Amino acid sequence: MSAHVSFRFGPIIETTSPFPGNIATFAARLLGSRQSMDDRDGQVVPGQPDVGSLLRRCAEGDRGAFRRLYELQSPRLYGLALRLMQQPALASDAVHDAFIQVWQRSARFDPARGAAEAWLTSLVRYRAIDILRRRAREQYGLEREDEPDPSPDIVQQLGERADGEALRRCLGTLDEGQRRVVLLAFMDGLSHSELATRLQAPLGTVKSWVRRALLGLRRCLEA
Amino acid sequence: MSGIGFDRDEELVLVAGEYVLGTLPRDEAARVALEAADDPRLAGAIADWERQLLPLASLAPTADPPADLWPRIEASAYGDGSVGVLRPRRRPQGAAGVGFWRGVAAAGFLLAAGIAGIAILSRQPVTGPLPMQLATLSPIGARPAAFVIEAQPDGALSVRPVSPETVPAGRDLELWSLPAGAKAPHPLGVLPAAGLHLAAGAIPAGRVQILVSLEPKGGSPTGLPTGPVLYGGAIVRAE
Repeated sequence: MSAHVSFRFGPIIETTSPFPGNIATFAARLLGSRQSMDDRDGQVVPGQPDVGSLLRRCAEGDRGAFRRLYELQSPRLYGLALRLMQQPALASDAVHDAFIQVWQRSARFDPARGAAEAWLTSLVRYRAIDILRRRAREQYGLEREDEPDPSPDIVQQLGERADGEALRRCLGTLDEGQRRVVLLAFMDGLSHSELATRLQAPLGTVKSWVRRALLGLRRCLEA
Repeated sequence: MSGIGFDRDEELVLVAGEYVLGTLPRDEAARVALEAADDPRLAGAIADWERQLLPLASLAPTADPPADLWPRIEASAYGDGSVGVLRPRRRPQGAAGVGFWRGVAAAGFLLAAGIAGIAILSRQPVTGPLPMQLATLSPIGARPAAFVIEAQPDGALSVRPVSPETVPAGRDLELWSLPAGAKAPHPLGVLPAAGLHLAAGAIPAGRVQILVSLEPKGGSPTGLPTGPVLYGGAIVRAE
C-alpha cells in the first residue's frame, strides 16, 4: 500500500515514529505470539474451541465462530454488565456494543498483551462504564440506587479460582477503605465522585484511597 | 507525545489502574483511551491491570442474556449500509496549499492500538494539481485501508473511503480531530458515504490525530465519541 501511495511523491520518506520498535518488530511479535495464543489462554475445554482461536477466526470474518463466541461468553459477560449496570436494557446495550467491537476489531486483539477473556471482559466493562457515565451526566441530580457493598466474603470467593488466589491475598493486604473502593469501582462501576458520595468521604480522600490501593496491589501482585 | 504528561512510571501505572477500575470521569477516561492508542507503554500498563484484575470479573454471577440480544448483534454486525468506493477526483489547479500538510509515520502507535495507518511524509511542498494523499486510516489485519485523507491544492482536506465500509443500520460514522495534548477529541461531523471535505482551517496546526468512531444515527449526542473508535491516523500541518 505504501508503494502505491508513495510513487506520487518521489523521495519521500522519513519515518519519525516516536515509539520504540517499528512495524516489523511489532508484526513479528504479533504473529509470533498468535501462534502460542492457544497455550496462553490456558482454558481450552476438550471439544470446545478456546476463546483466543475463536477471536482469530472472527478476525477472518468467520460468522460461525462469532456466534460460538457469543454462546460461550455471553452469560459471563452479560452477568458482568448486569452487575455493573443493574438494568437489563442497559446491560444488553453494553454487551451489544462490545460484541460489535469484537466483530469489527477482533484483529486488534493482541495476545501478547493479555488473554482473550481479559480482552472481552474489558470491552464490556468499558462500554458499561461509559454508558453509566453518560447517563449520569444526562440525568444530572439523579442518584443511582445504592446497592449493598460487595460483601467481604466475596473476596474469599476469589481464592476458588486458580487465577484469583494472588489477587485475593493482595486485596487482603489493603486496608478497609482501599479494599472497598477497589471492589465498588470494579464490581459496581462507581466513579471517583460516586465513591465519595457512597463512602461519605471527601473526593480527594477517595482518590487517594484508589491510588494507594492500586500501588499496594501492584507491589503485592508483582512481589 | 503525551497530553497527560506522564513523567514517572508510577503515574503511568496509576492512571492505567484508574482507567481499568473505571473511576475516572468520562472525558478523562476517553482521553486515556485515546492516549493509549498513541502510547504503547500506557497501553501495556492498561493491559497489565486488565489481566491482574480479571478474576474480580468472575465474582459477578453469570446471567442468560435476553433472547433478542443475539439477533440484534447480528443485525448490527452484518447489516447492510455498504458504501461504494470513490475514485480520486481531479481538482482545478489553485493556490498551492498542500505543502504544509504532512502525514505522520506513527505506525508503531497505530498498530499498538490496533489502528493501522500508513503514513506519508513529504519533505518538500508538493504543488501539483492532483490531490496529495496524506494518510490512510485502516483497521489492522487483512482488511484494507478504509479511508484516505488528501490535501487538495487549495489546502483543504478531503476524507474519503477507499474500500467498501459497512456501517450498521441505524448508525453513522463520525470524524474527530485530536490535536497533540488536547484533552478531548473535537467533532468534525458525521462522515457520509461519499466522504467529507474539510476546510483548511478545520484542523489546527501541529500534530493531529484523525479518528473515526461508530455513533448513533446523526452522530454522537454528547460531543464526545460514544462508540468504538474504528479507524485512526495522524497528520501534521506545518506552522
